[in-house]
Amino acid sequence: MTDQSLEGAPPIRAARLPLRGIALGVAALIALYVIPDALSNYWLRTFISAAALTIASLSVSVLFAQVGMVSLAQFGLLGVGGWFALRISHGLGVPFEIALLCAGVSAALVGLIVGLPALRMRGLYLAIITLMMAGAIQVLISAFGFPDGGPGILGKSTGARLMMARPLIAQSDEAYLRYAIVVTAVCYLLVLAHVRGRPGRAWAMIRRSEVCALAGGVDIVAYKVWAFALAGFLAGVAGAVLAGGVGQLDGSAFPASQSIMLFALTIVGGAYSWFGPIIAGLMLRAFPALLNDFRVDGNIATMVFGIGLLHALITAPHGIAGQLSDLTGRLRRALSGERKAGP
Amino acid sequence: MIEIDDLTVQFGGVRGLSELTARLPEPVTGLVGPNGAGKTTLINVLSGFVRPTTGRVGIDGQDLSDIAIHKRAAFGIRRTFQNEQVVENLTAADNIHAILDNVPTDGQPRAALIAQALEFVGLAAKGNVLGRDLNAYQRRMLEIARAMVGRPRLIMMDEPGAGLAQHESEHLRDVIRQLHGHCGAQVLLVDHDVDLISATCTATLVLDFGSAIAYGATASVLAEPKVRAAYLGVLEDAT
Ligand SMILES: Nc1ncnc2c1ncn2[C@@H]1O[C@H](COP(=O)(O)OP(=O)(O)OP(=O)(O)O)[C@@H](O)[C@H]1O
Ligand SMILES: [Mg+2]
Repeated sequence: MTDQSLEGAPPIRAARLPLRGIALGVAALIALYVIPDALSNYWLRTFISAAALTIASLSVSVLFAQVGMVSLAQFGLLGVGGWFALRISHGLGVPFEIALLCAGVSAALVGLIVGLPALRMRGLYLAIITLMMAGAIQVLISAFGFPDGGPGILGKSTGARLMMARPLIAQSDEAYLRYAIVVTAVCYLLVLAHVRGRPGRAWAMIRRSEVCALAGGVDIVAYKVWAFALAGFLAGVAGAVLAGGVGQLDGSAFPASQSIMLFALTIVGGAYSWFGPIIAGLMLRAFPALLNDFRVDGNIATMVFGIGLLHALITAPHGIAGQLSDLTGRLRRALSGERKAGP
Repeated sequence: MIEIDDLTVQFGGVRGLSELTARLPEPVTGLVGPNGAGKTTLINVLSGFVRPTTGRVGIDGQDLSDIAIHKRAAFGIRRTFQNEQVVENLTAADNIHAILDNVPTDGQPRAALIAQALEFVGLAAKGNVLGRDLNAYQRRMLEIARAMVGRPRLIMMDEPGAGLAQHESEHLRDVIRQLHGHCGAQVLLVDHDVDLISATCTATLVLDFGSAIAYGATASVLAEPKVRAAYLGVLEDAT
């Protein structure tokens, strides 16, 4: 019996692949051309932020879904990335791409420090200690603020605040949204390369159990550190994309509570699916904006998120993305059942 | 050859192993004893999960205390687990690939090594199946496949026969018999199934309360009165 179901597996997979490829291609075309064209400025900026938060959610899901680690500091790392992006961009006047990379690298280094406790701690303890790191980042950022074109190490200007230079090829909001979507796609590819490769296999062993990983020769310390560095890099890139989108960042916008919100919505969206972080990004930015459009109090969003989290924890551990793929799976089965029954 | 010298493992007030000394040179050695005798503890010491309180273990003249836990797989110490440890979200092939990442491959293409190992344990058709979709028996076989790739010196199996159906045990028996010839590793087999031990192991070490009570050719060891006294009572319970 089990054998039958096993032999059924490969054909389904083979049939699914082109379908998924086409869906991805269509989605990319819509995302890159149709959406930016049709949007108002307000919605353009909303979607730019949503793209940045998709990358941030991806960073949470790498740690959670791949290695089984909880980090509640990733939104703080967004702030770190944003800070370095602004500092480097204003201070050195380098192209946006360089600021973006530097933001990623510096947040990766800070992410490494955040991850050090992970070598000794697990579960709730790790969650709490990373939350404390997020709190420390919050304190630093609200004390020093973000650079805005002034002199000195902190780069605070006393007069008018300068905007961060956008990429040469993406000066308008519309072009910058396209740019942000491409950056998001590149981040996905980076994660995919890891998951499909040696790190992904080592992470999977660690997630199975540390005993399993050690017996298989996996250097657990190195691969956990690498996961935190990669996640930090993604968060830093997200911070830079956000900074480029808005032009400047607000020192009060990176409280530790946002890190919890980011983690919660990554679970609600579906950390185990590639689609989950996109849902999380949209929920974090587009959903409140939508409520705003209908003149509903934005705080309602927080309540809806809480209900969503409860729902996810109780009935849908794989989040909305998991439910969507269950649904498409059921549809596909129903369709193929009809086709078989038809002729 | 496995060398065990004056090995004691103390868990708080409980002795897992007690002044155990043994030389195990045979290609396939059985390790038997009643529940709690210290069989898994000995495997755990060899794979590095448990530190000896006193004494040492070595393989082919190399003292294992010098080798970090995660480097022992590359050195050639491999094992399966009493509670199976197949990675559920990797395919069967990737489960093996994950090990090959960390052990010497002698420049052979990985895909070929994986295919060979899957073929050897009878999972040739299951390479693309996720771990979570394998049944208990297939998981046991996959664990053996993981243990045999990449120049193993010692493969330790902790009760691989537990809970298998008759025809599955027979297949397992064939695989264990051919394992040494196929990959050159010494095999240390823990199991409560005396038939499996008799059919596969040339020599057998019997543990009771953490000490060796007998070692020698399997048939004669299992016939010894003190072994029967220590062991058969448990067997009657178990079957
Ligand atoms: N991590 C541990 N902490 C405390 N005591 C332990 C630990 N591991 C094993 N023991 C104890 O050491 C003794 C030997 O256990 P071990 O698991 O080696 O037995 P075993 O021969 O494998 O038994 P079984 O046939 O039931 O698997 C037992 O009394 C057990 O309770
Ligand atoms: Mg045991």
